[in-house]
Amino acid sequence: MKYYFKALALNLKSELEYRTSFIFSFISQIIIFFSYYFVILSLFTKFSNIKGFTLYEVLLCFSIVQFGYSFNEVFARGLDKFDNLIIQGGFDRLLLRPKNIIIQVLYNESDFVKTSRLFHALIILVVAITHLNIKWNIIKIICLLLMMLSAIIIFFSIFLLAASYCFITVQGLEVRNVFTDGGKHMAQYPIGIFSKGFIYFFTFIIPYAFVNYYPLLYILGKSNKTIYAFSPLLLFIYLIPCLIIFYLGVKRYGSVGS
Amino acid sequence: MSFIEVRQISKTFKLAKKKSGLKEAFKSFFKREYKYIEAVSDISFSIEKGEIIGYIGPNGAGKSTTIKILSGILNPDRGECIIDGMTPWKDRKKFVKKIGVVFGQRSQLWWDIPTEDTFLLLKDIYDITDDDYQRNKKDLIERLNLEDIINIPVRQLSLGQRMRCEIAASLLHNPEILFLDEPTIGLDAVSKQLVRDFIKRLNKEKQTTIILTSHDTSDITALAKRIILIGKGKVLYDGNLRVLKSKYDTEKNISIKTKEKLVIKSKGIKTKKKTREGYDLVIDTNEISISELLNKISKKITIEDIDIENNSIDNLIVKLYEDYKI
Repeated sequence: MKYYFKALALNLKSELEYRTSFIFSFISQIIIFFSYYFVILSLFTKFSNIKGFTLYEVLLCFSIVQFGYSFNEVFARGLDKFDNLIIQGGFDRLLLRPKNIIIQVLYNESDFVKTSRLFHALIILVVAITHLNIKWNIIKIICLLLMMLSAIIIFFSIFLLAASYCFITVQGLEVRNVFTDGGKHMAQYPIGIFSKGFIYFFTFIIPYAFVNYYPLLYILGKSNKTIYAFSPLLLFIYLIPCLIIFYLGVKRYGSVGS
Repeated sequence: MSFIEVRQISKTFKLAKKKSGLKEAFKSFFKREYKYIEAVSDISFSIEKGEIIGYIGPNGAGKSTTIKILSGILNPDRGECIIDGMTPWKDRKKFVKKIGVVFGQRSQLWWDIPTEDTFLLLKDIYDITDDDYQRNKKDLIERLNLEDIINIPVRQLSLGQRMRCEIAASLLHNPEILFLDEPTIGLDAVSKQLVRDFIKRLNKEKQTTIILTSHDTSDITALAKRIILIGKGKVLYDGNLRVLKSKYDTEKNISIKTKEKLVIKSKGIKTKKKTREGYDLVIDTNEISISELLNKISKKITIEDIDIENNSIDNLIVKLYEDYKI
């Protein structure tokens, strides 16, 4: 893994070469991020709660999902930009190196400007927690950490799936944004506020519900089923087929080429 | 068994047919038609350790496909390929440690940072020990004259400088086989010479097996004794470059500058053309030697100036292509 971190350091060094651009992008990220935040705030000036979720409860969910997404944007950016790698032939180069192919894809690009969002997400997480009256115990703390971890894993899995799609065709890539970007925007709210169909879709097809709904219910004391606290662990199982699909894609690439 | 053994590899690609016209586009939206392109078919050759092979052929002949198969990126539909006891596409991680690949048109260096940083990353990727790394780096810097450019961001380097860095980067781990895909594309004469000399020396001193593809035939003449010519996915010629030359390179173009009128008939003179300044002759050296011809001419007229054009290997290859109808 040493080479992964070294490569990230090189990416950071590359980005810092363009100092002004880096600073401005960093600041613009703050503005973008808080515009999301203000959308939620303005919603709650009209309604005191949405289907039983108060402002800070929603913000808790929002910050965790933003955290998971931004984490991937910083540390797994190469997956998000995988189509470039295929189109420009960089993937061949990675196959010529004696290391794990997924890790090489991850570091192939990174976007350290997005660390800005990572910090904002953590700030809002702290704000939300301090405003909520949660009776913390060890399980709830574990549950919170699991939520954060699973938020990372779910977006990682979805990025993997979207990247796998590029092995088949690099056309119509907008489709993937429905699941990545679109999914993120949905998942910022507790899935429970949506209609039943959505809940089922986001429980079984893309299991956002195990990231931001069931464990959230447990932390907020809306449910005391302990199993909900550990439901984020299911994401590890979800990750497995996503990895398999990606490796199948790599195999296909070997026989079909680009 | 040879160091590199390629037996009857074939590879077919499936491509969606694209027809022009809106109607056709609409049709193909619902029903895709595919065409199959045989990129390489039944290619076989073997290469010994320490050889330099010039792998040549026109665009689309299957050169890159072969290189991709040999380097483990692609797996063929049929046939086998064994390099140093391994099948490239099966033992990928183990195999690629033994090879270095330079793509002339694609960089492996980090664009915005100095080459040395990329070297440090490659050190970890190839698990090169500190000692080996220091030794190889020093060696490469010396031979490729990188001292002054290794600490400059790659984007500020000239093409020639960058190519030298590329080559160094692909040799840090001391590979036994080096694939060079158009290594001198776009370089000036000085850089070309430097790169060629380096490759020659590398092959001589370290016994590195080198497979070189290039459209610049002077590269091939300068480096490779043996060439493999490929066209339409098939091996057309595999053998010594000199033998090929003596077989095909028998025509010479001779331009004579003179004010007088030249009447000459002799076997071996294939064409004679009057130009503004004199005459252009094409002769076949199998039938008439140059000295013989000049002798004859100088008896008849005064030659002001003469220009003998060696039929370049480019023409030779064009002729080969014509011969094989590719």
